[in-house]
Amino acid sequence: MACKFKIMKFFLLKRILLVVFVLWPVFSLAANDYTFDLSEIEKKPYSIGGFLEIRPVLSGLNRDSAFYRLKYFNQDPESVLDEYNMGLRLEGSYEKGKAGVHFRTDTVLRYDDQGWSDDIGVLEGYLSLKPTTGFSLNAGKRVVPWGKGYAFNPVAFVSRPKDPNDPTEALEGFYMIDVDFIKSYEGPLKTLAFTPVFLPVTNDINDDFGEADHINFAAKLYLLLWDTDLDFMVFTGDSRTTRYGLDFSRNILTNFEIHGEAAWVNDFQKKSIDSQGKLTMETADVLQALLGIRYLTANDITYIIEYYHNGGGIEVDDAENFYKFIESAYNRYLANGDSSQLARASMLSRGTLASAKPMRDYLYFRASIKEPFDILYLTPAITLIVNLNDQSISLTPELAYTPITNLELRLRSAFLIGAQRTEFGEKQNDWRTELRVRYFF
Amino acid sequence: MAIIKYIFLSLVLSVPAYAMDANQLLKQVDRNLTPLSYEAYRKLINIEPSGRKKEFVLYTAKKGKDKVAALFLSPASEKGRSTLRAEDNMWLYIPNIAKPVRITSLQSVVGGIFNNADILRLDYADEYNAVNLVDQGKEYLLHLKAKTKTVAYDQLRMWVDKDRLSPIRIECLTEASMLIKTLYFKDIKDFGAGIVRPAVVETDSPLYKGYKSVMIFANVRKREFNDEIFTLTFMSKLDSLR
Repeated sequence: MACKFKIMKFFLLKRILLVVFVLWPVFSLAANDYTFDLSEIEKKPYSIGGFLEIRPVLSGLNRDSAFYRLKYFNQDPESVLDEYNMGLRLEGSYEKGKAGVHFRTDTVLRYDDQGWSDDIGVLEGYLSLKPTTGFSLNAGKRVVPWGKGYAFNPVAFVSRPKDPNDPTEALEGFYMIDVDFIKSYEGPLKTLAFTPVFLPVTNDINDDFGEADHINFAAKLYLLLWDTDLDFMVFTGDSRTTRYGLDFSRNILTNFEIHGEAAWVNDFQKKSIDSQGKLTMETADVLQALLGIRYLTANDITYIIEYYHNGGGIEVDDAENFYKFIESAYNRYLANGDSSQLARASMLSRGTLASAKPMRDYLYFRASIKEPFDILYLTPAITLIVNLNDQSISLTPELAYTPITNLELRLRSAFLIGAQRTEFGEKQNDWRTELRVRYFF
Repeated sequence: MAIIKYIFLSLVLSVPAYAMDANQLLKQVDRNLTPLSYEAYRKLINIEPSGRKKEFVLYTAKKGKDKVAALFLSPASEKGRSTLRAEDNMWLYIPNIAKPVRITSLQSVVGGIFNNADILRLDYADEYNAVNLVDQGKEYLLHLKAKTKTVAYDQLRMWVDKDRLSPIRIECLTEASMLIKTLYFKDIKDFGAGIVRPAVVETDSPLYKGYKSVMIFANVRKREFNDEIFTLTFMSKLDSLR
């Protein structure tokens, strides 16, 4: 009898637990009365925010690659390197009337196989004046990123190139004065906006933009015409050669967008390299162009596909020559300890094959799925960058998740796949895995 | 025979008049929800089956029948983002990227059940034709059909309170009449200056079983804006309107 009672008690308890479990969300919703405290929308003249970041990274070294040999020719590191990054992003503003000041800074503390290092930088810091809704003026360090491409922007004449592996990361700006004139219309032309930019280069400011002691001028004309975004750009000045650009973007359907960019660069210095490591320059006008789509499927997968042509990029033969030169320089070092050729190769790599996407033709593919299996704020994605000239690829699966408000987690691994003497086959790493934890405040 | 002809003609001729009444009713519903041009604050709450919530606060500005912009004020991870709609064109501005990118109406910048079309909603009468009106006693049932393929939901079924001419419930359906989501309008509130409307819109969806999203309105008021505010160039400056 006692045993039967215990069994009944167990089943009763189980049933109660089941009911509580099933109805718990209902109880918690029923207990909700939605509140909207007006203090949440009170506007203050100042604002400050940002995020704290922790980013541990593991990298698997490719000991047979050209860039491994360039960096570690006289060292014997572990086959897997660990790196720890701690960062603080601070951004804020103070506004009074029609004027305001804005800033964005980045502080990174890093520990890796080379020891501790730090980097403190001002990404943006500028004064803005907005006397009317149709006119504004900004002066200071600014990011003015032109172009419609997601991973590549050949028409970004007055900003730094983005990293196609992480194209949504904030960039560092240049010092400039830029003005926006905006006018709206009825009819097929709905908006006309004109943005002139003055960008000085001296030995102290914008010194990495181009030749010093010049004031450069750039301008963009934007039109929203027949439901299509259209931009026409020009850059002229003595710090870089003159260039012209245009871009467009249009929604074809509610789930399908198409975009493109084209830049015509006058007097571009095309680089070619022979197998002895000799760099020669040829002046030519080049075309850099991009065509892309963004497509959302019925099951919430977003595809971004872009083809990028870099008319000024390194050709396959030149890249092979560069890798051959590193091989011979490394063999020379092994034979007689002479590292002078490796040092020369290292210099040569800067501005050529060590820069981001240095070659001619690339295909960018990204597929991300929103909240699969009904898990809110989870976004798995996969990114593929294919060097169409040497068929090497970079494959990056990732998981992004926001488990609680203001806490963002991202786990991603990049796998670099390619034969010898190809761009991704000769990178320092075979793979790289990082966890990025950001807490916004 | 003459009687049959008379009945047939009466039915045929009555359809356009009936449809017109339904469209007039729809326009009145729109005006009772918001002025044609207005500003408002909204809180969006995504509620998971576990009861866990995520909240977003937005400032919204709308002008006329085809321009609307929204600026995220919180949480900190979204602050400064803004969305803009001009007719069927939509853009998202992210401060980190510092330039607007085109988005589509079916995407969602907040996750959960609300998509971009819900957040940047234009008047129903501008996107839908009322094709049928059914008197259900205390309520009207309006059957709405999208005017173009670019509208997020092909069909709506809208139940309207007869006294207030304000929606009580809206079902959003695909072209194949599959239910995507249901909006429930609750908590009638007087916002002043003659604006009396539901302060809370709850949403659920058979595609997100157990999940719920809520939109709460505050400080809804009539306001006129310059056209230049609803342009890509102004997206980073929307906070200056507040």
